[in-house]
Amino acid sequence: MELAHVWGILFISLHAMVPITLAAIGETIEESAGLFNIGLEGILLLSALTGALGAEASGSATIGLLAGMGTGALIGLLFGVINTYLKGSQLITGVGINLFAFGFVALLLILLGAPGFHSVPRDAQIQLIPLGVGSLSPLVFVTVILAIAVWWLLNRSQLGLKIKAVGENPAAADVAGIRVNALRVGTAIAAGVLAGLAGAYLSVDWFGAVTKEITAGRGFIALATVVFSGLNPLLALLGGFIFGFFDGFATWIATYPGIKKIIPWQFVAMAPYVVTLLVVAGAIGRVRFPKGLGVPYLRE
Amino acid sequence: MVEQTAISPRRAVQNQVLLEARGISKGFPGVWEHLILDHIDFDVRAGEVHSLLGENGAGKTVIANILSGYYGRTAGEIRVKGKAVNFSSPREGLAHGIAMVHQELMLVPAFTVAQNVMVGLKAPNLSFHLQQVEKKLAELTAHYGIQVDPRARVEDLSAGEQQRVEILKVLFHEPEVLLLDEPTSLLTPQEADQLFVVLRGMADEGKGIVFITHKMREVFAVSDRVTVLKLGKMQGTCYISETTEDELTRRTFGETVPDYMERPPVKFKENALEVQHLVPKGLEDKANTAGLSFALHKGEILGLAGVAGNGQSELIECITGLRPAAQGEILILDRNMTDCLPRAFIELGVAHIPERRREVGMVEQMFVAENVVLKDYRTPPFSNHTVLNHKEITRHTEGIVTRFNALVPDLWKTECRILSGGNIQRLILGRETWRKPPVIIASHPTEGLDAKAIRHTWELFLELRENGSGILLISEDLDEIMSLSDRIGVIFESAIVGMVEGKGADREQLGHWMAGGRLPAATT
Repeated sequence: MELAHVWGILFISLHAMVPITLAAIGETIEESAGLFNIGLEGILLLSALTGALGAEASGSATIGLLAGMGTGALIGLLFGVINTYLKGSQLITGVGINLFAFGFVALLLILLGAPGFHSVPRDAQIQLIPLGVGSLSPLVFVTVILAIAVWWLLNRSQLGLKIKAVGENPAAADVAGIRVNALRVGTAIAAGVLAGLAGAYLSVDWFGAVTKEITAGRGFIALATVVFSGLNPLLALLGGFIFGFFDGFATWIATYPGIKKIIPWQFVAMAPYVVTLLVVAGAIGRVRFPKGLGVPYLRE
Repeated sequence: MVEQTAISPRRAVQNQVLLEARGISKGFPGVWEHLILDHIDFDVRAGEVHSLLGENGAGKTVIANILSGYYGRTAGEIRVKGKAVNFSSPREGLAHGIAMVHQELMLVPAFTVAQNVMVGLKAPNLSFHLQQVEKKLAELTAHYGIQVDPRARVEDLSAGEQQRVEILKVLFHEPEVLLLDEPTSLLTPQEADQLFVVLRGMADEGKGIVFITHKMREVFAVSDRVTVLKLGKMQGTCYISETTEDELTRRTFGETVPDYMERPPVKFKENALEVQHLVPKGLEDKANTAGLSFALHKGEILGLAGVAGNGQSELIECITGLRPAAQGEILILDRNMTDCLPRAFIELGVAHIPERRREVGMVEQMFVAENVVLKDYRTPPFSNHTVLNHKEITRHTEGIVTRFNALVPDLWKTECRILSGGNIQRLILGRETWRKPPVIIASHPTEGLDAKAIRHTWELFLELRENGSGILLISEDLDEIMSLSDRIGVIFESAIVGMVEGKGADREQLGHWMAGGRLPAATT
């Protein structure tokens, strides 16, 4: 293997790390507060579409990313309100978001006249940063900084302590004067914004196009990363990189001359998902989650 | 017991009224028997400890929750220092200097003591004052003589220590009024006495303390004034120096409960239940390797006293088949039942009156009649070849409802979840005892019942005992254990640390054992 290949795999891994990690640290924030949103995949998909359309319409990649984040915020708000003030079922709301997204994106792509595929104009995509051996998206750096910032927020700030108290024992938090439901909705919006950024990154930055399978289970892998990380954003960064690496590795193997004849590409493409399963199986039981996770809070 | 300090009778009378409730009423949705609170007048002044005395279900907790802003009210007025207020959350209560220590601990177990305190601070979201909090906590603990390490993780602390954390947490806000809801329920008698010293100290500083309890001894040990509540109604307020224990008992319970229920000696020699070197699964790390051993005779009531969390729940689960044993044997009527399934225990005649009656004792979403035959529906006459006999079940349920005076609107339309705790307990008592089972495991059997029903339950237990049932009575309520038991054992860290005859048992001795045989360190 040549050195260029090593750089190639590394850069693909870093790019693949971004959406998984962004979605995972967002989910980490809301799970710390007791909300479990299985609808990440749906948010990613919807914001990939709105991000692409936003970028295309405005000609600006930044507007595209903002459109994705706005979409995520809106869904996060909806999810948050349903599962706090309206005491809904988090699981069902999450599944609903996914089902809606799968159907809506497929439909919209048809209405746009391009069933299954819609590309983003070259000049409305994010400009990569050239680094000599290859180019990296600025969002790679943003992701690393956000992971550290969220870790700091959760572990070294008054707000983080409140978020975790709301997740562990909402009654205790309420008695301590924290507005439990308002804080939960806030974390759901933050999680939505990060997932929206991840989705918009897929279409506006990484792939430069939106397809109805663009997310390819990355929302679920992000959920798995949260389990693996035990609600630690820094470990989510590592987890995102591991899955990204296998994603990149699989792509590299699949395109390497000669290998296709030995192993069918479908098996290679499975690699990131199989790794996800193994890692999560290893992490479950070891990781401790907030006691109030998934339960709406009722005072009386 | 703390020697009663000389309290000048009207010491607090001229002091400022800090918190005042006028005509507070409250009805809960779905509870149709009576108003939870019916026009309650109550006030607490600076420098006094004002006890709220009443049985379980009298509405003490509800009024404290309303005063602290946790619950809303249906009618009435609350005044803080003469000014009418309307709280809609505990946060607003705190802002007015009113803090409450809840009976179920409001702590985050995964946090340290200092972090638990920090959660409630009004600090900027991006700030982090852990070190300052730890420092101020150290000062507070020294000032009030409450011993606790600010850096300890709450889940590693004992129940008594957690109780102290809870008090520290609210003291941190420097409240003027402190409401404590049954703060002694998790404490040994000695720990309770230490708490009283702390509470008196706070009152002497000019705080107003509202102390909620159902134990007469504690009212006399700590308060200046006492207000008696009964089934949501005021029974009057008076100075502690101007009343007697007998008078208060009459007002609270309507009749006195005897210290010891007289009964003939145990007639039987055979064992109903024997436990040898038992270590419940999940307690391998905590329990002594010798495990837990005791025998319950037929026709005997064996009381098991202990502070909650010393392995009582796990023991109960083991001897009803709900939890496997890591070590040791369980013999019921001389049959080895170790690792048998719950149904085998039921079929052998082990009745279980569980502590968590709503979760374990009932299926709350099912109807009254269904719950009453929950353990009998498999057998005739309640079913024939898997088909339920509706008529027979109705007849049987009516019998139990009548005999135990349960208030139930409809046997087949009322879901158990809307019933009060006391009524649920009546149904469970009926279901578990009607067959006169040879072994009865009763955990807090009279909690939530009024004095008359408690009396009936005790009489029922003595009748069953005469009939040959072995009754294991597990309770944190020492009074009940001392009134009913032929023998009293004390459980500490999943082992029996002491066993005495029930008649003439010494409360001090039991308390000593409940604390693990070690006297707690002095706190002042």
